[in-house]
Amino acid sequence: MDLDTSYKVARPAEVTQPGPGEVTPTGLPGVTPIVAFEGVSKWYGNVIGLNKLTLRIAAGVTGLLGPNGAGKSTFLQLATGQLNPSQGTVRVLGQPVWNNPPMMRQIGLCPEQDAFYEWMTGFDFVRTCARLSGMNRPTARAAAEKALATVGMTQNMNRAISGYSKGMRQRTKLAQALVHGPRVLFLDEPFTGTDPVGRHEMIEVIHGLGERGCSVVVSSHVLHEVQALTSNVVLLHRGRLVAEGNVRQIRDLIDGHPHRIVLVCDDYRGLAAKVVAWKDVEGVQMLNKQSAVLVETREPDVFYGRLPALATQGGAGIKEVYSDDDNLEAVFQYLVK
Amino acid sequence: MMKTSSATIDLSHPRGFEITALAALFVLTLRQHLRGRRLWVLMLLFLLPSLLVVLVRLTNRPPPPEHLEFAFVFNLIPHVLATLTALLYAAGIIQDEIEEQTLTYLLIRPLPRWALYLTKLAVTIVVTSTITAAFTALAYIVIYWNTDKLWGEVLTERVPKAAALFALAQVGYCSLFGAVSMLTRRSLIAGLAYIVAFEGILANFASVVRQLTVMFYFRVLAVRWLNPADSKGWSIDLDTAPSALSCVEILLVASLAFAVIGAALMVGREFRVKTPEGS
Repeated sequence: MDLDTSYKVARPAEVTQPGPGEVTPTGLPGVTPIVAFEGVSKWYGNVIGLNKLTLRIAAGVTGLLGPNGAGKSTFLQLATGQLNPSQGTVRVLGQPVWNNPPMMRQIGLCPEQDAFYEWMTGFDFVRTCARLSGMNRPTARAAAEKALATVGMTQNMNRAISGYSKGMRQRTKLAQALVHGPRVLFLDEPFTGTDPVGRHEMIEVIHGLGERGCSVVVSSHVLHEVQALTSNVVLLHRGRLVAEGNVRQIRDLIDGHPHRIVLVCDDYRGLAAKVVAWKDVEGVQMLNKQSAVLVETREPDVFYGRLPALATQGGAGIKEVYSDDDNLEAVFQYLVK
Repeated sequence: MMKTSSATIDLSHPRGFEITALAALFVLTLRQHLRGRRLWVLMLLFLLPSLLVVLVRLTNRPPPPEHLEFAFVFNLIPHVLATLTALLYAAGIIQDEIEEQTLTYLLIRPLPRWALYLTKLAVTIVVTSTITAAFTALAYIVIYWNTDKLWGEVLTERVPKAAALFALAQVGYCSLFGAVSMLTRRSLIAGLAYIVAFEGILANFASVVRQLTVMFYFRVLAVRWLNPADSKGWSIDLDTAPSALSCVEILLVASLAFAVIGAALMVGREFRVKTPEGS
């Protein structure tokens, strides 16, 4: 894949010095939070999306973890100004985001929903997003080409989106989030549907963005995806902040439970025969209706580490990898007790 | 404790919005409108008056063109086709983006929501007016085909005036239905009910209520500008009816009011995207 790793953000996040006697909200000296939620609640009628959440996220790459229904997407929709908090304040880079269009120049969002203007080509779509960000034609064209190169879509950018694979669609969504050079990037479940190789490459892209000064908040319900990106994690459960800090502590809890990974593949029986021989695999279950194999392991790092090689081997043909959510839910149940 | 003051970050870009972004939105919306299946369905429907005229003219005793003009150009098109076109397009100004889950891509751009709404409304007015004007011109050509009037009065005077008349009506209908679509998800049903009750029934009775309909001003303008045959059935007394200028002003002011209402609703409304996982 033709990855362009030279992508740069418009400006790195600013760092300010605290005044005398001041302590930074992030807990880190001298760092203004890129995202600050102060007592934020969000209700959808009688259903609560977020519950009195106070949270400050520092510059860098941060993982937003939680099982389905934890409030991750509500968090991201609030942080990107799509929703107005029912209570409390949301600030990004120190600015309120609700009905603040100029702030959108600083923010990029890769949404979870698999929606596009299907009749466009990938290039057309990303260029249109650049134009909607206020770029003139030549600038938008150059920015779209660069963003698509960054996510490895140069070769396929002139094909119609309707013919893209899930992985290509994910990358195109990421490209539209990058195209205007945001300072803060929000990625909502960006690895959904990607194959192991594509996942590895996207992780590299996100790493590169972080190294070049772009702050990234990645939501996921799969700890090992987030762990590959950052050691800073925020855990949400049922709209509340459960924990924040180093991923290692969470990992220890997770590893107490068998990790369940689903591999979608045409020859899933052949794949099952291969992985069952691995020592770190504790169990294998056929999911005939999904043409998939469910693998249980207590050493997910080792398992995930082998996947790219397996995926590139002739005949494996893994289409999709995702983590079953049950194990993470179990850990969250433990944490909130 | 540190303050989470906003003063520490200087946004280097100017406040407000850029015309290039709105131009891009205009083009995007235009492309959306011109691609949809809706356009083809409406174009087929709009061919109906012309086809009916051809059939009527093939009979042994075809009515005079003026009567056909009144029946099709001043009744069938404004009562059914123009209103339906405005409703189908204007009800989807934002709702189409919600259903296709593409609204997110617009909301995360540096575009004020009111400008987003008004730009999409403007495109909708342009598209619906163009469709209506084009097929009205076609109906005129078919009606007056093989007559002396076609290349004279009809194409140089009646068609342009009718096009302007329909454009005004579409400004009114699109602004109204656009605002309705921001109020309720069932804007198609609400719009249809409005069309039948107000534009279809109440506009025919000589009462104060009909002055609340677009159809009333359309008819007054039609009588003043084009004086169609058989228009006595509309019960419009030109001595008491508003002047042409007043009709235009009323339609434009009402349209502006509805456009502002729609834009204001857009500014305050949240558009929650349901994620695949429902989180």
